[in-house]
Amino acid sequence: MSSKATFMSFLVIGLLITLTLIAAPVTYAITLSFYSLDSFVGDPEWVGLGNYAKVLASSEFWNALKNGLIYAFATIFLQVVLGIGMALVLNQVFFGRNVVRGLSILPYLLPTVVMVLVFKWMVDGSIGVITAGVEWLGLPPIYWFESPLAAMLSVIMVSVWLWTPFVTTAFLAAMQTVPGSLYEAAKVDGTNAVQRFFHITLPMLKPVLTVIILLRAVWMFNKFDVIWLLTGGGPVGSTEHLAILAYTTAFSQFDIGAGAAIATISFLILSLAVFIYFFFFPLDAE
Amino acid sequence: MVRSVPSRIALYVAALIISIYSAFPIYWMVVSSTRAPQSLLRETSLVPGPFTLEYYSNLLELTDYPSQLLNSVIVAFSVVAITMVFSVMIAYAVTRQRIRGKKLIVGAMLYAYMFPPLLLAIPIYTIFTKIGLGDTLLSLIVAHLTLTLPLGVWFLWGFFKNMPFELEEAAMVDGCTRLGAFLRIVLPLSLPGLITVAIFSFLLSWTDYTFALIMIGSDANKTVPVGLASMIGSFDLRWGEIMAGSTLIALPLFGAFALLSQYFIQGMSAGAVKG
Repeated sequence: MSSKATFMSFLVIGLLITLTLIAAPVTYAITLSFYSLDSFVGDPEWVGLGNYAKVLASSEFWNALKNGLIYAFATIFLQVVLGIGMALVLNQVFFGRNVVRGLSILPYLLPTVVMVLVFKWMVDGSIGVITAGVEWLGLPPIYWFESPLAAMLSVIMVSVWLWTPFVTTAFLAAMQTVPGSLYEAAKVDGTNAVQRFFHITLPMLKPVLTVIILLRAVWMFNKFDVIWLLTGGGPVGSTEHLAILAYTTAFSQFDIGAGAAIATISFLILSLAVFIYFFFFPLDAE
Repeated sequence: MVRSVPSRIALYVAALIISIYSAFPIYWMVVSSTRAPQSLLRETSLVPGPFTLEYYSNLLELTDYPSQLLNSVIVAFSVVAITMVFSVMIAYAVTRQRIRGKKLIVGAMLYAYMFPPLLLAIPIYTIFTKIGLGDTLLSLIVAHLTLTLPLGVWFLWGFFKNMPFELEEAAMVDGCTRLGAFLRIVLPLSLPGLITVAIFSFLLSWTDYTFALIMIGSDANKTVPVGLASMIGSFDLRWGEIMAGSTLIALPLFGAFALLSQYFIQGMSAGAVKG
């Protein structure tokens, strides 16, 4: 087989599979958003932009959008700040550093379900270890899933715990690439550690940080499992975001067209955000 | 570097805080899964014990856990195998051949990697239900591939790009065909990249809850994450068994990490991982 034929067969087979698996479903989802159907086997009825009009007119949609943005911004901010902080510590030389680095990655490996179950067990009303800790500190008991604020806090806390290691590890790896001579020179000039961080480390790592924040932002905006498992969107919709609204609309109310419309809208918002982000922080051309 | 005593102490305190913060929930999960029932639900002690394995034996003998574990294994291994084959093919062709729209292909992969899960889950579920294959492990494998294939192509594209062309060319000068050079030279050399893709495809599939929740309805086809989550909704909360089941599903991941940590770190640093 000639070289070109090998390549082309690789490419064609591979792309056909990918197109069938990804492009086709997405196209189908967008098509579904223009139809009304109330069961997964029934015949769809064309409603044009009807689903979009219905979704955009509902207060649930705007509430879900607001919650999703709060959740995404809060989790990204905390992940980046904590992640950079931990990376700075783990970049120092100390005894047992490799063990601590290993431990710091563990949360990332844990299935979301497991962490959610462990968290629910830790805040169990009568016997949870966090409940006991709160009591030991003399604070009033926290009703994690009954108050809107505490519910939002709990989904943010669990998410930050699970995904900060991504930031830590990526930032730590990138810090190894900054030449040590830069720091030596800055030290000779009499700068302190804080100045060196803001004037050397951060600017040198800006490209890496750009990518990290973009990826984390996209995934936090799309995140479904943590919130669904912890609060199910409750209490009274206070942690419901677009992914959960799309899920309940399609799979609990069986309004599949509207569910597809919500998924398509969140996809459009996301695409717009990615576009704006790249406009301000272009990826380095390779 | 010479450090003053207070700054050394501060460093060790910070390292200790990071360790406890990262490991405590996991420690607590394992401790709870082995604590005898009379104290598990009565006192909160940070020290392990009294020791029991009864939750593990209950879980394996009285629940659907073993069959869910088997489902998870079937799905994860199929996903890893299919992802490896096709992502290698696409990534290799894209890096080694002048193809119009090459950037478009790679860009589209990165973009596909950002799709909202429900944008994929709703149509895939609808299609599989229509053709009578709803609620099957096959539908779940297909759903997981929509996450892992873009990941594989994107990561391997970066990997092949940095691999010198000269090696293959030398082999082809010596009479190897392109396919022969690929199989004998490129694949063995790209083993580290392939391992990384395998690890993260496995991690995505093994830990997935969202797609499994949507695709699978019957108890017989549930994977472990969905099975575990439904234990918490059941009438009596069996915390011991829930913690034992959580430990069992997390353990293989920790084991793999201990053996292959360099690949995990490589993948995470390359931003190749979703989560």
